[in-house]
Amino acid sequence: MERKELEAQVISMVAASYKRDAADLLMATLFKEDLGGASIQMVALVSEIENELDVELMLADASGCATIGDLVGLIEGEM
Amino acid sequence: MGVLDQIYLKAKKNPGKVAFPEAMNEKMMQAAYETGKEGYIVPVLVGDGVEIRAAVRERGYEEDIFVIVDIHEEEYKKNLIERYVSLPQTILKEKALDRRMKSPLYYAMVMQAVGEADVTFAGIDNTTGDVLLAGQMIIGLKEGIGTVSSIGLCDIPGFQGSEGTLLAIGDSAVCTDPDAKQLADIAISACDTVTALLGWEPRCAMVSYSTLGSGQGELVDKVVQAVKLANERRPELAIDGEFQFDAAISPAVAEKKVKRESKVAGKANIVIWPDLNVGNVGVKLIQQFGHADAYGPMLQGFNKVVCDCSRGAPVSEIKGNIVISAVRAAGSRQEEAGKGGCE
Repeated sequence: MERKELEAQVISMVAASYKRDAADLLMATLFKEDLGGASIQMVALVSEIENELDVELMLADASGCATIGDLVGLIEGEM
Repeated sequence: MGVLDQIYLKAKKNPGKVAFPEAMNEKMMQAAYETGKEGYIVPVLVGDGVEIRAAVRERGYEEDIFVIVDIHEEEYKKNLIERYVSLPQTILKEKALDRRMKSPLYYAMVMQAVGEADVTFAGIDNTTGDVLLAGQMIIGLKEGIGTVSSIGLCDIPGFQGSEGTLLAIGDSAVCTDPDAKQLADIAISACDTVTALLGWEPRCAMVSYSTLGSGQGELVDKVVQAVKLANERRPELAIDGEFQFDAAISPAVAEKKVKRESKVAGKANIVIWPDLNVGNVGVKLIQQFGHADAYGPMLQGFNKVVCDCSRGAPVSEIKGNIVISAVRAAGSRQEEAGKGGCE
């Protein structure tokens, strides 16, 4: 999968899990400061990534990602 | 009869199925065996069937006390996955679930989600984080609840509260620095937990260093806001505050400090701390100066009862927590049946 395609998919999943508009999200969007979600949202996001992208992520690793771009990098490393 | 005796009696009347995904752990297997043998639960050991059977024999336990579930048995696993993904509001699909179920912890929780077990009991090999994650992913949180938290039950010699020597307190273990919404979640979950476990009518005090505006500041504002949110969300529950601790539990102090009607002031049976600093110090004070026995922490907020026991817990404590979890699960089932709904 091309990086750009993966970015678009991850943006769409972040938007669904954090109930945001995908158009407002960038690779540089910060999970904590910009999205401010609870751990349950990260659990939903990790589950969705596992469902759709066929990778298994550790929640601790995903939670350690500061930006959406970092999360895309983590997924790429697992694919 | 002490509180634990009453709980043990309840468990024996209707033994629940408790899934043990850390069955190979020696202390866990012993606690599962003894609580099963004594008739409090039906212990379901989840893991590698061959290894478990060998360990059961080697350790001298009677195998027929246990139900042994082999996670490598493909037909049963397939059946569980089919039933799980057909449940409403589950977030993992077949393939991802199949991968996660290689772990006995996830396997046990899937069994619980579909009704093959009443409780998942873990935490002696897995970390609290592992148990909480698996619980959120597989069991899910109750509708309207966004926070996993915990309560403990204190049996305090000499304390003459509204439930005799007993007082439920939370959260002293999980939620570090809850905001007002999370604090409201903790209070609501605590009310549901004590109702399921003990059949109490909950009277829940949210405590602070201020009683109804006697002190000001953002620490107080958070508690005031939490009381408001909890009351809006579950108006049928008696949740009140902000109260100082003494105004919450002492009728004499409440009479002086609380100058309005309250179902809770002076007779609280649940006390909700404003954060984990207070909660942890609070429970230690109760134990050290009050010479109390503290049972728990009991995790709450999940759709079903998930128990995370302390890694250093002795077998006797593990047994107590297993039985408490089973009784909570039975209480939750009865409550849901009474409402005509399902979890």
